[in-house]
Amino acid sequence: MTGGELLLELKNLVVSYGGVEAVHGLSLKVHKGELVTILGANGAGKSTTLMAISGVVRPSGGEIHFQGRRIDVLKSHEVVALGITQSPEGRRVFGPMTVEENLKLGAFTRKGQDLEPDLKLVFELFPRLLERRYQMAGTLSGGEQQMLAIGRALMAQPKLLLLDEPSLGLAPLLVKSIFETIKGINESGVTIILVEQNARAALKLADRGYVLDVGHLVLEDKAEHLLNNPQVRDAYLGSR
Amino acid sequence: MAHLVEQLIYGLTVGSIYALIALGYTMVYGVMKLINFAHGELFTLGAYFGFVFLVTLNWGGFFGPAIAIGLTVILVSGLVAMAGHLLERVAYRPLRHSDRLAAVVSALGASIFLQNVIMVVWGSRYRAFNASLLPTVVWQVGGQNIPLIRLFVFLVAVAVMLGLYLFINRTRLGLAIRAAAIDQGAAKLMGVDVSRVIAVVFIIGPALGGLAGLLVGIYYGQINFNMGQIYGLKAFTAAVIGGIGNIPGAMIGGLVLGLLETLGDAYISGAWKDAIAFVALILILVFRPTGILRERVAEKL
Ligand SMILES: Nc1ncnc2c1ncn2[C@@H]1O[C@H](COP(=O)(O)OP(=O)(O)OP(=O)(O)O)[C@@H](O)[C@H]1O
Ligand SMILES: [Mg+2]
Repeated sequence: MTGGELLLELKNLVVSYGGVEAVHGLSLKVHKGELVTILGANGAGKSTTLMAISGVVRPSGGEIHFQGRRIDVLKSHEVVALGITQSPEGRRVFGPMTVEENLKLGAFTRKGQDLEPDLKLVFELFPRLLERRYQMAGTLSGGEQQMLAIGRALMAQPKLLLLDEPSLGLAPLLVKSIFETIKGINESGVTIILVEQNARAALKLADRGYVLDVGHLVLEDKAEHLLNNPQVRDAYLGSR
Repeated sequence: MAHLVEQLIYGLTVGSIYALIALGYTMVYGVMKLINFAHGELFTLGAYFGFVFLVTLNWGGFFGPAIAIGLTVILVSGLVAMAGHLLERVAYRPLRHSDRLAAVVSALGASIFLQNVIMVVWGSRYRAFNASLLPTVVWQVGGQNIPLIRLFVFLVAVAVMLGLYLFINRTRLGLAIRAAAIDQGAAKLMGVDVSRVIAVVFIIGPALGGLAGLLVGIYYGQINFNMGQIYGLKAFTAAVIGGIGNIPGAMIGGLVLGLLETLGDAYISGAWKDAIAFVALILILVFRPTGILRERVAEKL
């Protein structure tokens, strides 16, 4: 799906925490309809990059453009309103709230709109959430919380969905089904940036991939090329 | 255990005042993880604004009690809300990204500043809050004395808290406030404007605290520039009893503390009245720091 209209562009993004740089000049492009994955070891700066796109951490250098508009100067709620949502690392569901309240919060920027069709869609995607609609999110299993975090991010009808380690801590069978769901979401027209430790599965799903190493971009290529790249195989896919 | 019902009603009345003030502490703490040390002074400010309208300007004589009370409740809440908003703008917002200690020092400074302003404007003596709005009716029910004024204070406080409860649980802004209290970062990712939530909380909390000050003035008939200290401390205790940051907890914590104090005063010893609050605070902090309602669910990793 490459070659479509440019949706998101990072130009030389620099992000620091209290003077310590975590991302040193990252440039990246995402086209409409693509599924792009960002790979890298722990501490590579993947989550930081997503948080900068979402406007939760402010970059100290570079620019972020979305649909031709500069967004690194916007507040996080303005970024969400433009159609960029995130399912963050560690899920971050609102534990003392019900599943339904969590989903409604996902649609917070869609003031006054009818949410029933979207709730229905999320429940079709994740039927287990429907059964637990009025259960407190904090009492859900880890896998169910992950479904909720993804479903919640879909409620805003995003143009760009940022997924930070959606397979973290899930049983292999569930990982497989989550990845299939992600593929389905992408095929339904949502552009996705997928951050994963599970590099092989992510590359099988993705159109293109970026590889970060302690805040530096080391590789960018089509996903199938990265899967066969010896450097990537050694460092991220395990020797096989 | 004579006059038990009487004591219970008294306890609930005092408790509902603690609860109103406690809500301000708990809502601000919920979203900012900051104890607004100036909250007690906002309460005092409410009492003095009420004093101006009802005693200095004698609105009761002017408009009649019903209109005077209604107008005063609205104006006092509104004015103290504005003061709270200003306080947030001046004392807290500039320090949002500084370390916690800076905000605490600023809060303490704001508290001392407000207390001094009140003292300069209205003096350091006790002022008689003789608004005489309500007839001194005392009902006798089965040998128990039930003064009208107690019921009045209790019912006003409960009505306001019910309104707050519905607002928090049924409205979009209420949902945003709860979300920001649970996880500010996640709330931002949902598109919640957290700065706005903080501003709103700094309007609602002071409005409730100011109203409590007004009710104390009407109820006890006298006010003083440093009344906010002891009420603030007690209400803070109530917030901790209910679990700081927990909105229904603050309501219940206030009522529990009011009952404990009143029953202790009546059936153990009057000298214990104030000590009971602080013994309760210490016991809760030691044995149940998350409050009596304890969060129902633990965060899963
Ligand atoms: N809030 C923060 N304050 C200070 N440093 C931070 C903060 N968040 C991240 N960092 C640092 O920034 C660097 C990049 O972290 P980041 O979370 O972006 O990595 P990551 O690629 O997502 O890693 P992981 O795979 O472990 O999730 C790390 O060195 C981390 O310690
Ligand atoms: Mg990460």
